[in-house]
Amino acid sequence: MTSVRYLFPSLVLLAAFLAIWEGYVALTDVSSLVLPAPSDVLNGLWVERYVIARHTLATLGVALVGFSLSVIFAFVVSILLHFSGWLRRGMMPLLVASQTVPIVALAPLMVLWFGFGLLPKVLLVILVTFFPMVVSLTSGYASLPRAFRDQLVSMGATRWVIFRRAALPSARAQFFSGLRISATYAIVATIFAEYAGARRGLGIYILAAKNNFRADLVLSAVFVSACLTLVLLTVIKGIKRMTRRRYRRENNA
Amino acid sequence: MLEVRGLTIRTGAETLVEDLSLSLAEGSLTCLIGPSGCGKSSVVKWLAGVLAPELQAKGDALIDGSTAIFPHRDIAYQPQQDTLFPWLTAAENACLGLEIGGMERRAARDRVDALFPTFGLEGHEESFPDQLSGGMRQRAAFLRTIVQDARVLLLDEPFSALDAVTRLCMQDWLVARLAERPRAVLMVTHDLYEATQMADRVLVMAGGPGRIIADIPISTPSAERSETALAEIRSSLKLMLLKEIP
Repeated sequence: MTSVRYLFPSLVLLAAFLAIWEGYVALTDVSSLVLPAPSDVLNGLWVERYVIARHTLATLGVALVGFSLSVIFAFVVSILLHFSGWLRRGMMPLLVASQTVPIVALAPLMVLWFGFGLLPKVLLVILVTFFPMVVSLTSGYASLPRAFRDQLVSMGATRWVIFRRAALPSARAQFFSGLRISATYAIVATIFAEYAGARRGLGIYILAAKNNFRADLVLSAVFVSACLTLVLLTVIKGIKRMTRRRYRRENNA
Repeated sequence: MLEVRGLTIRTGAETLVEDLSLSLAEGSLTCLIGPSGCGKSSVVKWLAGVLAPELQAKGDALIDGSTAIFPHRDIAYQPQQDTLFPWLTAAENACLGLEIGGMERRAARDRVDALFPTFGLEGHEESFPDQLSGGMRQRAAFLRTIVQDARVLLLDEPFSALDAVTRLCMQDWLVARLAERPRAVLMVTHDLYEATQMADRVLVMAGGPGRIIADIPISTPSAERSETALAEIRSSLKLMLLKEIP
């Protein structure tokens, strides 16, 4: 009931947007090659459902592999940066600079260097998604209140113990914020990588549909990619809820 | 038992505490009072090994005659806030010091569980800090400090976050808990009523730079500490503190 109440405004706005769009297409008689109506998009999605599903699975696979590796990589990097001030000062500007490289330029280069396989796409997803997580983790570790740290130091805790017992748990909320931001990039980055060169995936499907002047199918694939991102965000929300210690305790009791 | 000699704490060119010496005996509760900014908390933090990095300290500390390096396993510290970790239950919070000290998790938990009724926290072992009242949180923090079995306890304004009524109840309660085992306790407070009610010795600090200006023993037994019995000491302490306010 709470989730329905939460989603209601979005659903109303979405319905209004689709209705206006549908009405505009019907009233202006605009060509479906330029702007297909939402009903055409849904029809295209239904007709092409098996093909789109196959491409969707390919995209999802790459996104999940890339995103999972990115989470691991972000944790490793954030821990290194947390423990080494020298490394933090040296690497942070480089990491920031890495985010200014346009993905449009990088995606074809990745394909050029690593071919049409899984590697270039996974690398691109990692490159795009790991930065928000590193930033959120490092600032999460740094947000540990001084009094908490002092309490542990007075007990004789080592730097590692302080990190494990206090800094890491205190970064939880910020980590999930970073994870949510990264998740929104994951599918887009995968599609971009596929767009630059792939055998399967929503990116290559969109490219083919565009080349065939099938705007309805392009929008169908866009709709599916948006759904994938929403599913990924919902899964992350569920993981956040279920990994909360209080939730686990209450449900194991 | 604990002796501090010639402690000077500086921050850049400014001297915060100058040539301060004090000693704490086993079984004593010493209160350190003084105006804000006179360096009370810095002295306690130095003893706890958590002095802010921007402060430089020079001085000697001895425990039972031997030079001590801080943090020291014979010293337990409780800062102003209760610092209970919100992601841990009350029992897990209470176990923290024991586990960091090397005690096995199960043994630490057994020791802590045995003390929960004494600390008025029975049935709240699995509660998270935000599910506890202010007084309960403070008792859980005391439990975490006291269970470490350190011979010296450093309490930095432990009641500052409590309301007046809870504070009064907690003062008597803490005196009773501390009396269960002989320890040397150094408690920082702003409140001279609290100091005279709880302590058997009051050290008065003055600021600019921080130094001890009076060492006042309170020999009246706890049970007989009424407003009238303590009126004279409180009045002289009040005068001393008022003189220190610029």
